[in-house]
Amino acid sequence: MKRKILKWTLLVFILGAIAAVSIFLYYWYMPHRDIQSLPVDIEITSEDLVSEYLSDPAAANQKYLQEEGDSKIIAVTGNVFSVEKDMNNQYVVYLKEPESEVGVRCTFMTSTNENAASLKTGQDVTIKGVIRSGAEYDEDLDLYEDAIIEKCDILK
Amino acid sequence: MKKRMKNAGIYFAILAAIVLTSLSAPPSGKYVTKSAHISFFSHTDIEDISANNYAVIGTIDPASGDVSFSVPMQSFEFEKALMQKHYNSPDFMDTKVYPKSKFKGTITNLSEINFDKDGTYHAKLEGEMTIKDVTKKVTEAGTITVQGNSITVDAKTVIVLADYHVAFEKGKPSTNIAKSVEVTVKAKYVIE
Repeated sequence: MKRKILKWTLLVFILGAIAAVSIFLYYWYMPHRDIQSLPVDIEITSEDLVSEYLSDPAAANQKYLQEEGDSKIIAVTGNVFSVEKDMNNQYVVYLKEPESEVGVRCTFMTSTNENAASLKTGQDVTIKGVIRSGAEYDEDLDLYEDAIIEKCDILK
Repeated sequence: MKKRMKNAGIYFAILAAIVLTSLSAPPSGKYVTKSAHISFFSHTDIEDISANNYAVIGTIDPASGDVSFSVPMQSFEFEKALMQKHYNSPDFMDTKVYPKSKFKGTITNLSEINFDKDGTYHAKLEGEMTIKDVTKKVTEAGTITVQGNSITVDAKTVIVLADYHVAFEKGKPSTNIAKSVEVTVKAKYVIE
């Protein structure tokens, strides 16, 4: 009898330990959100995204940002103003109308980087990525800050 | 008559020069970067945590010595997804409510830096850092490397999280994240 209780206690303990370790490992190795494999939440033009942020930044943040950083995945359509590389060697495609002072900066990633290389200034493109921050005018910088989209790839 | 013609020529040249300079956009003379790199590093016995952000905006005005940075907080990338979630959450940086951190300051030893001459200069900086809703006075030091029309800034500083009301009361993050984190700035500016 005593032995049976001991056996069961031991079994429950081992199962509990396995569960605890698996939960820990799940969180420890939880993968990053794969932006490109997830559906697009919002389709918008670069101009509309910018004007939405400039006219009501609080409402735009409420709409686009998520509190744990899992913000909206957007497909933004616009005119390529420039294509350059950041300090991490990732392409940054700047969508902006030629006469505008502010636009959307789209940062690509290692797996999609080469797709951005062929983009030409002046061409229209739709880029999918996760929004990180919106457009606003900053007095200290004395310039407009662009909206930022990351983990990008070209949709069409 | 000949002299008159010559004068007219000079007037015309001056007029042409004025028109041409007003047509082309006047340079503001300010250095601008839209892809500065800021990283931070936290060390505890349990784990080392680092994060990188390549989308920082900054300006330096060589005439006044004014320096500004704007940091999009959700652009920090962590190795582990869970850390990134913790960092963004309302308990920590609350990036939905405070999507940007700002620095605004002045170079205090501006006379020792020659923006017209290539070289590496030591720069001292005084200003205000705003993280979440807390603004603090800070003094920093770094180097400015002038190379033709572009400059590179390297700086390292330590931020005490509690100063900006960033603190975990309990739970795993309170033991795994250091009380102060090391922040590294590397930025390449071009003149506008």
